[in-house]
Formats: sequence, structure tokens, C-alpha cells
Amino acid sequence: MSGKRYAVGGAFFMAILVLPPVLRWMESSMIGVMLGQIPVLVVAGWLFGFALPRRFIEWLNCWNENGLPGLLLAISVLTFWLLPRSVDASLNEPLLRLAKWMMLPLLVGMPLSLSWKRLHPIARGIVHTNAISMLVVMGWLYLSVPVRVCNSYLLSQQNALGRMMIALAIVLAAFWSLRLFVATTPNEPTTR
Amino acid sequence: MEANVRKMTALYMFVSGIAILLMMVLGLLMLLAQGKMIPLGQDTFYEMMTAHGTFMVGAAAFAASAVMWYFLRQYVRLSFPIFVTHFVLFLTGAVMTAISIFVFRFAGAWTFLYPLPAMSAGMWGKTGASLYLIGMLLIGVSFLLLYLDTSRAIIREYGSLGHGLGWPQILGKVKGYGPPPTVVASTMVSIVNLVSLTVGASVLVMSLINLFQPSIEMDPLLAKNLIYAFGHIFANSVIYMGVIVVYEILPKYTNRPWKSYKIFLIAWNMSTLFTIIVYPHHLLMDFVMPKWMLIIGQVFSYLNGLPVLVVTAFGALMIVYRSGIEWDMASSFIFLSMFGWVAGVIPAIADATIVINHVMHNTKWVPGHFHMYMGVGAVSMLFGFMYYFIRGNERKIGYADMVSFWVYTVFFLSLCGTFLLSGKVSAPRRWAVHFPEWVPYDRMGAVFAVVIIAAVTVFLYRFFVSVIIVQAKQNIEVGPRA
Repeated sequence: MSGKRYAVGGAFFMAILVLPPVLRWMESSMIGVMLGQIPVLVVAGWLFGFALPRRFIEWLNCWNENGLPGLLLAISVLTFWLLPRSVDASLNEPLLRLAKWMMLPLLVGMPLSLSWKRLHPIARGIVHTNAISMLVVMGWLYLSVPVRVCNSYLLSQQNALGRMMIALAIVLAAFWSLRLFVATTPNEPTTR
Repeated sequence: MEANVRKMTALYMFVSGIAILLMMVLGLLMLLAQGKMIPLGQDTFYEMMTAHGTFMVGAAAFAASAVMWYFLRQYVRLSFPIFVTHFVLFLTGAVMTAISIFVFRFAGAWTFLYPLPAMSAGMWGKTGASLYLIGMLLIGVSFLLLYLDTSRAIIREYGSLGHGLGWPQILGKVKGYGPPPTVVASTMVSIVNLVSLTVGASVLVMSLINLFQPSIEMDPLLAKNLIYAFGHIFANSVIYMGVIVVYEILPKYTNRPWKSYKIFLIAWNMSTLFTIIVYPHHLLMDFVMPKWMLIIGQVFSYLNGLPVLVVTAFGALMIVYRSGIEWDMASSFIFLSMFGWVAGVIPAIADATIVINHVMHNTKWVPGHFHMYMGVGAVSMLFGFMYYFIRGNERKIGYADMVSFWVYTVFFLSLCGTFLLSGKVSAPRRWAVHFPEWVPYDRMGAVFAVVIIAAVTVFLYRFFVSVIIVQAKQNIEVGPRA
């Protein structure tokens, strides 16, 4: 697939998100923002990453040894936008909403797409295991915190998000585990 | 590189050996205190108990992971930097944990059951509890790195973890034998421990959050489930890593191959699944647990150890029978370990029966089981590996070693006997103060422990002298991928 098609794909996802009914529907619930809008913005950025010119990617790679700087950048920015305070701000302040819509694709999705293949398989494994265990922790937090962490959403929505995060952790764990059991082309196996 | 691998492996074994010896001394002190032979404060007793539980399993798993790594690298390309990182991270975590116990007086046991870390009744503060939990987290990360590397290497070499477990051979798609037993065992351990460590990371972070923000509470039953899913699988995996010694050493001693035939592969696949799902047998007394989980706990406890145990014990007997095997320290320990494994499972199976569990689980019957299983089973595998490691230096190994071997065997079994008998007279486990009726068993156990410590000192002295000081320069047997 050509770079242009990836760019169109990314733009398509963002255009869908920005449609008023979709935007209202997504932002009307905490699950919509946290497990809908944010991941789709990241996926859009991921697709934009494939659309970058090869020479620009090679130039960026000089600062992206083993993909680790890109991964760290993506995790740091994503962490900021997952904070309840940031979620509230992005819903109520236009400038911060714009910042979120720019930063999640450009500073999370794109660095991830440029870094993922460059990461050592062990680093990718750490990302997977950490994502599963911390999704469970976040899910538990949203279920256990006795107060509303976002002013924009009710406690019931917070609890629903907690349950969804734990369910997502289980699904991801099953999916990633199954992939480890699917055969790839091995080296010549060593037998005795 | 080979010299570095050898040095690093020796370092692993030596550090673990010293840790195990020190924890044996703590075990002795606890028995002396229960037997009213020395005055040991109750707070100190529980600190020692926390250290004993944490570091015995930790050190045994640490050594067993080195054994697994040492042999697995013959078949797949493993990363030496990860092996070194595992060592450094583990030690960092262990030091933090030790500081939390001996400086900040954390005494919440290795189980760190909710809400104990945060509610110590003034025995320890937030610093102690958080150091313990973070130390455990670091230890977990160190193991996680190692198992990610072994999984990666197995997938690269064999195509998938399923292939590492011999699925094509089991399903009849490929004829002949499966991957070498070491690869099969390593695949199983990597799978179960990736699950256990992921679960462990979750519950450790939850405990840390609760520690600093007590208003964010956990469901105690959920916390206990997560802790035992992590703890049971991790502790159980020690013997599955250690058994690699059996698969590697016995064929060399008997000049007979140990092949991964179909039944062998099926057994390891069954144990992979059962080891993950069997942990509810630790919660049989929790009446609020869903009934189906308790049934799983009982039924799969009967099934869990048996497949691999049977194929390994039977295989060991078959490979040794009329082979003209040379009985030296390594082969003797390997054979003893098989006995320890078989015998140690029996009290566990009894305790996994719900009606028996309700009576026996909180007595010293259970330490009787796991001391036999770990001390005579898993740790014997590690001592066997240590003697195998210094092979070629036989002139240094003399009567003192053989006498110590028999002393260790007889007195360790006797020690386990005192635990089991304490269980019979209803002596509770994890109690610092014992009634007079229970004291004779504690005193007998203390005497046996002194002798065991002397024997282990001989083993470690021999290893230290042979590896560190003499530095016997022998060529280790390396496989095609090493």
C-alpha cells in the first residue's frame, strides 16, 4: 500500500471522529473518550507514520536508536492525556482540545509506528505485559476510587470504564498469548 | 564468551547457595524460638518468617533460572546481557526487600495479603511496606526479562511456543520426537511465569496504591486470588526449571538419550495448563470462593504434578536401570531429587482434598509438604547441578561430601517428618509461640536443622573452592547453538 493511502486512512479516521454526532457520542461517555476516541486518534497517527517520506524517516531514525526514544515519547504523551485532569480539560477548553487532537496522532501514534518495528522483541514483550497488568490496575482504580475523578462524568460511568478496562486486559492477554502459539517460520530446529 | 557464561552461572549458584544457607539459619532460629530454646521477640520471629519465605523461594527460583538458561542456550540463541541484567535487577530487588525486613521491620509474610501491608498495627511503616513491594516488583521484572528472552529465542528457533511444547508431534503432523526435553520444559516455564509475573505486577502495584491511599480499597478475596495466582505458579515453576538438570545430566551419565516422545509431550502440555489454573487449592478454606473454583482447586491438584512427575520419575528409573551409571555427588543428588519430588507431592495431594484441607491447611502439615518438595526435591536438583558444574575436579570431592549427602538426605527427611507430625498434633503454622504439646517437635526439628546446615555448608564450601578459588579450567559441553 502506498504512503498516500495510509495518509488518507489516517485522515479518514480523524474526519470520522470530528463529525459532530460521532464527537458528541464519543464524548458523552468516559468509555467513549478513553477507549474510543484516544485509541482511534493514536491509530490515525500510526497510519500517518507509514505515509512519511523514506528520507525523512531515515533522518528521524538518527534520533530513534532501537525505537526506544520514540516509545518513551509516545508513552509520556499518552500518560498525560490519560490523566483525569487532562480528560476534563480537553473537553472544556478549546485550546487543550486542539492540543490533544494534535498530540495524540503526532506524538503518540506516529512515534509508535516509527519505533515499533525497531524495538527489540523483548522491549515489545515488556510493552505487552505492562499494558495488560496496568490496564487491570487502572480498571481496578476506576472501580475502587470512591470519588469522581473527572468532573465531566458520573461515578457510574467511571465504574463502567473500570469494568471495560479489565475486560480489555483479558481480551488483549488472550490475543497476544494466542499469537505466541501461532507458528512463524522457524530456524532449523535443533534436535538430539 | 564461554568463560563469561561459566563465571556468571557460578555467580548465580553461589549467591543463591549462600542465600539458601542463610535462610536455613533463620529457619533454625525460628524453630529454636518455637521450641522455647532461645528468646526471640515475636516481631523478630515474623520478620524472619517473612525473609525465610521470600528468599527461599526467590533464591531457589534464581538458581533454577540460571540452570535453565545454562542448558537452554545449547538449543536456542539466548541473550547474555539479559542474563546479566536479570542478575543485577534481582539482587537490587532482593537488597531492597532485605532492607524493608531487617531495617524497616516489615513482617507481613511473603504473601503480603491485603490489607496487611497498609495495616501493620504499628509494627512497620509505609517505608518498610513500600520497599518490600517495590523490591518484589523489581525481582518480578528481572524474571520477566529472562522469560521474555527465553520465549523469544524458542519462538525464533522453533516457530512458536506451541512448537516448543511439541504440538506438531502430538497432533501427528510431524513424525518422530519433539524438541529436546530442556526446550519443552523451558517453554512450559516461560508460559506459566509470564502469566504469573503479569498478575503479580498488577497486585503489587494495587497494594502500593492502597498503601499510600488507603481510601482506595481492594476486594480482599480478589487480592488473595491474584497473590496466589502469582505466588503459586512462580514457586511451582522452580521444580520445572530444576528438572532440566535431570533431563540433561542423567543421559550423559548413563549414555542413554532422553527423548521427547508423545506421552512426555502430552504430560508437559497438561502441566502447563494445570499449573496456571490450580492455584485455588490455596483458597479452599475461603468459603466465599465460587464453588466451581474450589472444585478446580481440588481436582486439578490431583492432576497437576502427576503427568510430568510420572513421565520424569519413570523415565529416570528407566534410564538408570542397568545402565552402569556412575554414582557420584551430582547423580546422587539428581536421584534424590526425584524421590523428594515424588514424596513431597503426597502430603500436598492430601491437603488439596477439601475436607482434609479444612483441618490441615493452617497446620505445619503444609510446611512439611513444601519443605520436602523444595528441600529434598528442587534444592537437590540445584546441588546436583553445582556438583555437575565442578565435575573434572573430582579429586577434591571426597568422603566429606558423600557423608554430607547422606546426612542431608536423612536429616532433611527427618525435619519434614517433624513438620508433618506437628501438623498431626494440630500445631498451627506461622505462629511464633507454641503450646508445650507442640514443643518437642520443634526441638527435634531444630536439632535436625543444625545438622542440615552443616551439610549444606560442606556443599557450598566445595563449590566455592572448586569454582572461585581453584577456577578449574575445563571445557564445558556446549551444544550446536552455544
